[in-house]
Amino acid sequence: MEKKMFVLFGLLALSAVFLALAASLPGGVLFSIIKIPLLLIAIVFDVLAFSSRYYTYLILPLFEQHKRNVVLSTEQAYWLSSTADAIMTKEGDDFVATMYINIPLYVSSTEMNDEENLAFSKQVSSLVGISKDPVRFTTELYVMNKDSYIQRLRDMINTVENEESALEQKSASQNELERARGKLSMWRKMLDNVSKGTSLELISFASLSARGAKEFEAINIAQLKAKETMSGIGALLGVSPSIVIGDELLKFVEPEFLIPYSTISEQISKNIQEQVV
Amino acid sequence: MDEESMAYLLLSMLIPIAALVLLPELGSGIFIFIALALILMGIGAILIMNWVDFVLFSIVTNLFNITFQPAIGYKIVRTQDAIMKDVNGLFYATGFISANLFAYVFKQESSEDESDETRFINAPGIWERAIMSLGFPFKFHVLSTGLDVQKVRDELEGKRSYQEFQMSRAMQGGNASEVTVTELQRTISVLQAQINRISEGEKPIATVMYVETTAIGVSEKAALDALEAQIKSLQVSLGSMDVDLTRIVGRELHTLFDFNFKLPTASEEVASYFNQQS
Repeated sequence: MEKKMFVLFGLLALSAVFLALAASLPGGVLFSIIKIPLLLIAIVFDVLAFSSRYYTYLILPLFEQHKRNVVLSTEQAYWLSSTADAIMTKEGDDFVATMYINIPLYVSSTEMNDEENLAFSKQVSSLVGISKDPVRFTTELYVMNKDSYIQRLRDMINTVENEESALEQKSASQNELERARGKLSMWRKMLDNVSKGTSLELISFASLSARGAKEFEAINIAQLKAKETMSGIGALLGVSPSIVIGDELLKFVEPEFLIPYSTISEQISKNIQEQVV
Repeated sequence: MDEESMAYLLLSMLIPIAALVLLPELGSGIFIFIALALILMGIGAILIMNWVDFVLFSIVTNLFNITFQPAIGYKIVRTQDAIMKDVNGLFYATGFISANLFAYVFKQESSEDESDETRFINAPGIWERAIMSLGFPFKFHVLSTGLDVQKVRDELEGKRSYQEFQMSRAMQGGNASEVTVTELQRTISVLQAQINRISEGEKPIATVMYVETTAIGVSEKAALDALEAQIKSLQVSLGSMDVDLTRIVGRELHTLFDFNFKLPTASEEVASYFNQQS
């Protein structure tokens, strides 16, 4: 708040100085030409003063850095807590721990009659108001991760390619060569099929944050809040929610886990190949 | 408009007012008109920043090609409507759309053919059909927070009293139009219905709903183009759910990006983040 006030009054003072300067210059055409830019600067500072209501975090770095790519932070967006169940950030002197709760929901409206649909909608409405503290409920559609499968297929292709060239070098029989080529063609077709389209998965989760002066304090408060929310979700929907831990958390925060890199790059290269052909 | 915005507006208006008072000192002949035009442009810019700051802000950053780095590895593009991440030469562009439900329709206002019950019955089916038609990743977020029952009740009663005062003044004047009276009666009945719901034990909550989608491309432009297409597709598909779908631009984009790593911990914090777009 103090920083915001400092920026507001600083910019207003600068604006007033330029306006006073413009007004204090003597009359005449020459001075009028000087007065206009001074007035323009005063107006720009005044607009910036008003903009500092929401944009203080941008205005200060913009003035300090004098470059087009303004760096607001030189730190990582987050780090994983030592307990591996929370995403940590720092805000001023406080630590903020954010936890993700997986909500295993496997129902579909196609299998429900009107009464069940009505009951389900009411349950979801009640779910939103489950906690007094802010809780975010999310439904995420993401690309299924086939990275490790694709890597395994690539490894197999490399192995069989090596096998084939080794057989060629030692002038192996036609039968052995044909078998190796057949295997190679099979793995290549499988890789082609895997990369043909994206498979999507749907997941529902809740997330919440807690603040603390120390990292463990923030994590403890977040764990307590998460347990309360989980019992509420469990009671309302009749499911067993669980806290997301480890690498699984990245699926909710990093875009490359939403769309896995290898899965999608394989598809892109396949599309490009098809276009070229 | 909240008190803080009002204070900023009043303080910022002092300079243009002073400039108008000092106008004869700022030039003569044609220069006085140029000075007047500048002052009026300044007032206009302040008013635009007050109501639609994201419009002016994105115009300025687009014009001067200004981008922001909110954290290592991420970049807010100059149009202020997407966040870019470069992963080994593959670009991930993330954009947001506000998806707030239209103002709640009370039973006494809703039409006969579609009751709340029908809406509830149809909602899961509409949602599933919308999802099935989308072949790309997205997240639908509902950020909710409980509100202080007494505080909300007091606020609503205050608003109702004010509307009743307006109503009695309009009736006493004798020249109030029928439209004004009907509008006031409608507002009072809506406020009363909200008070009744709280009295019946319903917990007041505040929600912010938004959709996040990520697109990829082999270049920044390809990713942004794909994102644009995905956002349009989402707006069409989710349009059937009675939600107001507006693309998020400007500072709220930065706020929503931050929400992936830290959420507000108190309801007052949620209110301070959003005003215009969400």
